[in-house]
Amino acid sequence: MTLAFSVTPDASAERRTPVVELENLVVDYVTRTQTTRAVDGVSLSIGAGEIVGLAGESGCGKSTLGNAVMQILRAPAQVTSGRVLFDGENVLGRRREELRRFRWRTVSMVFQSAMNALNPVMRTGDQFVDMIRAHERVSKHEALGRAGDLLELVGIDRRRLRAYPHELSGGMRQRVVIAMALALRPELVIMDEPTTALDVVVQREILQQIRELQTELGFAVLFITHDLSLLLELAHRIAIMYAGEIVEEAPAARLRDEPRHPYTVGLLSSFPPLHGPVERLAGIPGSPPDLAAPPPGCRFHPRCPHCTRDDAALYARQVGERPLLRVVGEGHRVACHRETP
Amino acid sequence: MTPILEVRALSKQFRSGGLLHPSRLHAVDDVTFALRPGRITALAGESGSGKSTVARMLLRLIAPSSGEVLFEGRNVAGDRRRRDVLRYRKHVQMIFQDPFGSLNPAKTVRAHLERPLRIHGIVGRRDARASVDTLLETVGLVPAATVADKYPHELSGGQRQRVAIARALAANPKVVIADEPISMLDVSIRIGILNLMRDLKELEIAFLYVTHDLASARYVADDILVMYAGQIVEQGPVDEVLASPLHPYTRLLIASVPDGERTLEPIEIRKGTAAAAVDPAPGCRFVDRCPLAIDVCRRETPELVEAEPGRIARCHVTAPRQREDHLHAQPAA
Amino acid sequence: MSQLQPALELAPPPVVSKSRLPIPGWLELLLRNPKSRVGLAMVGFMIFVAVVAPLISVSDPTGFDLYAARQAPSWHHLFGTTDQGSDIFSQVVLGARRSLLLGAAAGALATVLAATLGILAAYSGGIVDEVINFLTNVFLVIPVIPLLVVISSYLKSRNMGTMILVLALTLWAFEARILRGQALQLKNRDFVMAAKVAGESTWRIVFGEIMPNMISRIAAAFVLVFYVSLLVDAGLEFLGLGDSTHVSWGMTLYWAQTNSAVLQGEWWPFVFPGIALVITVLGLTLILAGIDEVSNPRLRDEVRVRRHLLRSLVFPSRRAA
Repeated sequence: MTLAFSVTPDASAERRTPVVELENLVVDYVTRTQTTRAVDGVSLSIGAGEIVGLAGESGCGKSTLGNAVMQILRAPAQVTSGRVLFDGENVLGRRREELRRFRWRTVSMVFQSAMNALNPVMRTGDQFVDMIRAHERVSKHEALGRAGDLLELVGIDRRRLRAYPHELSGGMRQRVVIAMALALRPELVIMDEPTTALDVVVQREILQQIRELQTELGFAVLFITHDLSLLLELAHRIAIMYAGEIVEEAPAARLRDEPRHPYTVGLLSSFPPLHGPVERLAGIPGSPPDLAAPPPGCRFHPRCPHCTRDDAALYARQVGERPLLRVVGEGHRVACHRETP
Repeated sequence: MTPILEVRALSKQFRSGGLLHPSRLHAVDDVTFALRPGRITALAGESGSGKSTVARMLLRLIAPSSGEVLFEGRNVAGDRRRRDVLRYRKHVQMIFQDPFGSLNPAKTVRAHLERPLRIHGIVGRRDARASVDTLLETVGLVPAATVADKYPHELSGGQRQRVAIARALAANPKVVIADEPISMLDVSIRIGILNLMRDLKELEIAFLYVTHDLASARYVADDILVMYAGQIVEQGPVDEVLASPLHPYTRLLIASVPDGERTLEPIEIRKGTAAAAVDPAPGCRFVDRCPLAIDVCRRETPELVEAEPGRIARCHVTAPRQREDHLHAQPAA
Repeated sequence: MSQLQPALELAPPPVVSKSRLPIPGWLELLLRNPKSRVGLAMVGFMIFVAVVAPLISVSDPTGFDLYAARQAPSWHHLFGTTDQGSDIFSQVVLGARRSLLLGAAAGALATVLAATLGILAAYSGGIVDEVINFLTNVFLVIPVIPLLVVISSYLKSRNMGTMILVLALTLWAFEARILRGQALQLKNRDFVMAAKVAGESTWRIVFGEIMPNMISRIAAAFVLVFYVSLLVDAGLEFLGLGDSTHVSWGMTLYWAQTNSAVLQGEWWPFVFPGIALVITVLGLTLILAGIDEVSNPRLRDEVRVRRHLLRSLVFPSRRAA
C-alpha cells in the first residue's frame, strides 16, 4: 500500500541555492559529413530540493542535455562550449578520476528502461554492492545492509535483494533503479523518461514515490519527459525545449495557466482532457525541424500560427533573428519575438 | 443499428508451465461486445490485460480457444476456405502501434497501398495509381504524387502512421482495428491522427481503438470497454463511464491518469497487476486491490451486469446481480 | 507562411545515390566501403581475365610440346610451362573460367535453396518448419569433404554440372539455418503481420515482404558458398579426384604435385595458380567483410572510431573531432 503526501507544487518562486547551473551549453554531434547542433546555448539553473521538468518532443535535445550534465555523452556527441557549474565549479573537462567521483555522488541518473541499467545476470543485491563499493570503502556486509535500506526506502521488501531483475515486475525494476540512483545521497537526480514504459497505475505509484522521497531526502530532480501533463502535476518549475533551445520556462501552475510561447500553447492543447467539455483540438501542424538544417530565425516559425506576413516588421524578425529568452513575469521566461515591443 | 462485428464469450488460453506442472494463462476470458458502423469503440486496459490479444483474435492472427466471432451475423471463427478468409480480411483491417515497424522498409508508399487494392480486386492496374493518390489525400498526405514514391525511412512518424491508415482503408473495409496507433508518436502529432480517425467515422466504418490512454479514448471514442486481467470489467458510453465509473478498477485508472488540471491528490494504490492470471481461482480478480471488497468477492466471480441502462460492470458491490434482476423483474435464481 | 499541412515537411532521405550512374543503392554502399571496394576490384579483375581468356591465351593449355617442357617464365610463356610443355599462363586464365563459373553456380544454387527453405520454414512454422529443420539437420550432419571425396571417387562423370550440384547440396544447409534465424526475427515485425492481415498469400509474403529485407544476408550467403566451393573444388582436384581433362587451377596444382615440381625447384606451376586462387578468395572474403560492415551499422561506427584513432596517432597535429 502506498500513500502519497499531498504536496502541491510551489506557486511562489522561492529563492533556492542553485545545485547546478547550465551556462550557454552547446552540444554537437560531429560526423565526417556534417555537424548537428543538438543543444544550442541552453542556460538553466536548478535549485536545491527543486523538481525541474524539462519537456519536449523527440529530437528536441532534452536527453542529450541530460547526458551532457551527467557527462555520459558518447561520440559523436560532444560539448562544444558552455559550462556546467556545480556549487560554482565547472565540471566539464574534468579528468576521468574526478568525474568518477562526481558521478553518482553529486548527480545520478535514472533511465527510461530499467533493463538498460540493470545487469540481467546479476542479483539485485550484488549490483547494489558493486555500485556502493565502487565509490566507498565498505565491507560487502555493510553494503548489503545499505542496499536493503534503500530498497525499503522505495517500498520494496529487502528480501528482494536476492532476486534477479527479470523476476521483478516493471514497476519494481524501475524503483530499484531509483533506489540505486539515491544510494550515495546525490544532490541532483536526473530522470530521463523514467515512467514512460510503465502502465498508468504503476506510473502514478512511482511518481508518488519520487515526490515522497524528494520531500524526505531533499534532492533536486531534473525530470526529462515528453509528457507535459505529468510535469504539471509533479514539477515545481517547467522548461519547454524545442529544436535544441529552451523556449519557455515558468513555475508549473503559471505555465499551465498563462503559457506565452505558441509552442507551449500548442503542446498544452495536444493533451485531450479527461474531464470537462470535449472540443476539437488542433495540435501543432508540421513536424520538428531537422537539426542539421534548422529554419532561420525563430526555429518554430514554420509551424507558428502567429507567423504571418500581416506585420511585416515582426515577420522579418521571426524569419531572420533568433529570439532570446526574456523575463515576462515572476520566474517566467519566454523566447518569442511577440513578447518584445 | 445492427452490429457489423460481434464477439460472444471470446476466450483465449495459452499453455504455460512445464510438462510436470502444466497450467493455462487465461489471457482473454469471456469477452462479449459489438462494433457498429460509424462508431468508435475504445478497448482500454493496461499491459497484459488482454486487449491486444482480443484485437489479434479479431484479425485472425491468433485463433480463439472458444467463443464466436460474428461478422455480418455469421460466425466466422471456424472459417478455413481461402475465399471466406479473404473476404473477412478485406473488411477487417488493422493499424499497428509502431509506425515504422508496420511498413516494409524495402517498399515505397505506393507499393504498400497498391497491394490491398490488387489482392481484393478493388481496381485494375491502370486505375491503381489514381486510387493510391486519392487514398493519400484522404489521410492528409499531400502532395500525393510526391509522397507515394517515398520510402518509409524518408517519412516522419506521423506521416508513416497516416500511410498505415491509408493502407487499412485501401480495401474499403467495414471494420478497422487500431492497436495503440498514437502511443509511439510525438505528442503534438497525436491529435492530428486522432482527428483523422474522428473524421473517418463518416465513412461508416466501425473502429475498435485499443489503448491504455483514457484521455485519448475519451477524445475519439463513443463507447468504452475496460479490461482487467483478461476480462471486461466495465462497458458503456465513454463520457458516462469516465464521469461516473462503476468498477473500482476504472476509478483507479481514472485517478492515475496525469491530468494537469487537477492538483496532486494522494491516492491509495495497492499492489497488483492488470495482467492476466495463470489458472485464476474463482472470485473477482481485482479483489486484492479493491477498496470496496466484501466476502462474496473472494468466493464468486462477478458477472457482467447491466446496472443502469447502457452501463455494464462486473462487480458484486457496484453492479450486483439483484439490480439487474430487479431491472428485468425476474425472481433471483 | 503560417499553417503547414502535415505532409509538406518530409524528413531528409539518408543515402542518396551520389553518382549519376544508374547503379542500385546497395552496390554503391559496397563501393564506398574500402574493404569491399578492394574485394570487388580483385574479383572483378579475375572475372575480366576469365572473360578475355580465350583472347589472351596464346597456346593450347593442354598441348604437348616436349621441347618447351619445364621452362621457367619467359616472354614466350609468361607463367612458364609444365612438364608436358603446356603453357601455364593459358591454364591459369582459362582455368579461371571454370573456377569462377563453378563457384558462382554452386553459390547461386545453394543460396536459392537455403533462402527459400529457410524463410519458408521460419514463416510457416509448425509442421513445415519441423520438416525443413529435419532436412537441414540431416544435411548439416554430413561431413562435406569426406562426402565429396567419396562421391568424386565413384562418379563416372565428374563434369562441372555434377560438381555444382554436389557442392550446392552439401553447403546449403549451413546457410539455411542462418537465414531461417534472420527470417524468424523479421516474421514478427509488424509489416509482415500487416501483409497477412491485408490478405497476402504465404508465398507473396516470403518473397515479397521478408526476402527483400534480407538481401544483405543472402548476398553474404552467396559469397560464402562461392569461395568455399572454389576452395573445395580446387582441393579435390589437387587430391587427384578431379577430371584430368579439365583445365583449372586445381588441376594445374595437381599436375605440378604429381610431377614433383617442387623437388625440381620449379616454383611456377604452384605459385601462379596459387596466386590466382588467393586473389579470388581474398577478394570474396573482403566483399563479405564489406557486406558485414555495411549491414551492421554498429560495426560501421566501431571501424570509423578505430580508423580515426589510427589517423590521429599518425597525424597528431590534426584536431580530434
